[in-house]
Amino acid sequence: MIKVSGVTKKYPSRLAVDHISFEVGRGEIVGFLGPNGAGKTTTMRMLTGYLPMDAGTIEVAGYDIAKDPLEVRKRIGYLPENCPLYPEMRVDEYLRFRAELKGVKSIGRKAKVNDVKERCGLTDVGSRIIGQLSKGYRQRVGLADSLVHDPDLLILDEPTVGLDPYQIRQVRELIKQLAEKHTILLSTHILPEVEAVCERILIINEGKIVASDTEENLHRKLHASTVIELEVQADLDLVKHKLDGLAGADIRNASTLKDGWAWLEVEADSADIRVELFNLSVTEGWPLRELTEREHSLEDTFVQLTRQQGRAQ
Amino acid sequence: MSLFKKELQTCFLSPVAYVVLFFFWALTGGNFYWLLGQLAHGESLIVATQLMFSGPLLTFSLPMIVPLITMRLFAEERKLGTLEALLTTATKVPQLVLAKFAGAMVFYVVLWLPVLAYAYILHELAPAEGLVFPDMGALRAGALGTVLVGSLYVAIGLFMSSLTSNQIVAAISGFAVLFGVSLSLTVLAYSAPNPAARIVGQYFSSFAHLMDFARGIVDSRTVVLYITYTAWFLFAATKAVELKRP
Repeated sequence: MIKVSGVTKKYPSRLAVDHISFEVGRGEIVGFLGPNGAGKTTTMRMLTGYLPMDAGTIEVAGYDIAKDPLEVRKRIGYLPENCPLYPEMRVDEYLRFRAELKGVKSIGRKAKVNDVKERCGLTDVGSRIIGQLSKGYRQRVGLADSLVHDPDLLILDEPTVGLDPYQIRQVRELIKQLAEKHTILLSTHILPEVEAVCERILIINEGKIVASDTEENLHRKLHASTVIELEVQADLDLVKHKLDGLAGADIRNASTLKDGWAWLEVEADSADIRVELFNLSVTEGWPLRELTEREHSLEDTFVQLTRQQGRAQ
Repeated sequence: MSLFKKELQTCFLSPVAYVVLFFFWALTGGNFYWLLGQLAHGESLIVATQLMFSGPLLTFSLPMIVPLITMRLFAEERKLGTLEALLTTATKVPQLVLAKFAGAMVFYVVLWLPVLAYAYILHELAPAEGLVFPDMGALRAGALGTVLVGSLYVAIGLFMSSLTSNQIVAAISGFAVLFGVSLSLTVLAYSAPNPAARIVGQYFSSFAHLMDFARGIVDSRTVVLYITYTAWFLFAATKAVELKRP
């Protein structure tokens, strides 16, 4: 659906996007991650044809953006950063205006507008003035606008920024529903959002793509070892001593908890070490209340990836 | 077409529009009062058309009034970010510029509507003095001149607005250019000691042009001058919008 190759964008003072290449297949939901100022918005603006690129090519649905910008735009539904809307217009007016601009035929336009209003939960606010709507509703108006011409590809630049947790959940649900029919490229710096919604992750840092994979694969590649948490009722030094004898287990952290239990973080090559830890506590007669493999969060992965690159430079 | 409709709507929904209407209509009223005074002092009715369209009160307020209409056009879209939303649809920049220009011109014409009412009042009063008013030719020419001068002013204001995301900057720079240029040309046309300079001033001063039009003189050179300058500024605005992306 999207084919980006060798795209570069220079601003007078800095290189915003540095020779990036990636692809997004039809029907995928891809999360576009990166710290603030990494080049996410710039990349999205180039994808939608708003900003010209300095080098490289972008193809959307088989059309070259430099040669057929209008064909590309017809196929993209774009929600720009901060969801720009006209505050003085009413919701219905705005959506009809946008539908007309996007070439939705006048026959059936009303039905289309009503359809997107229903999908975005806007049916009750059609006659309200946009400037008086809450941020959550405005965001939905923006989403409805990006959907109104039934585009193949949705590009959403931080669709949940500034919303309260309840609204965030609603917008996420909506995005998941949309994924059934559309290809979606979603930018954000809110990691749980990506975990909740996306199938694949693209991470961009300082203008370069540093990773492109599914979440599990990223974890697997980055974290060869696993971390086990263990809590037993025994003297900490004794436990440490016994664990030293266990092959393949490294103690990363250890402390005595307030209630006298010993808490340890053990790093090992595989999670199978849990069986050995259990057996050990049985033979030593330690009461055991916690034995868990710690999941790596996307946050760990993200920090590791973006920091590695920072150091390399 | 939808762009034009939207522009008109936005224009008439903004509070600035009503402030501008209030003041300009008050000025046309003041101008008409002054005109009646002139007539009462024995000025001939022939000059009434001239005074209606190019009374100094009106001519010198236009450079202030027009930037207030045009300041929003692009600056607001830039500020809100809606320019990005517009230009990522199938909309082309020249369409957008023309729609905004047309919307502002409609508003400009509305500003001048009271003048027609005053013309009608004089038309009703004149027979009592055994006179005929108006000379339709002069009235039409005056209206044409007003629209031509207005279109250049609006195009300049629109160009200024296309350069910035700050409406105040757009308004002040538009005012500075329009007022500075029109005032200095008018001074040149009427009080330069050098006769050659005076002729140059008369070629370019919109005050002098308005006087001519309202006298019923439609000079094709002046018409072409305004149309080409207007087109040039609209073209410049198009380029500014195409090239100046954040």
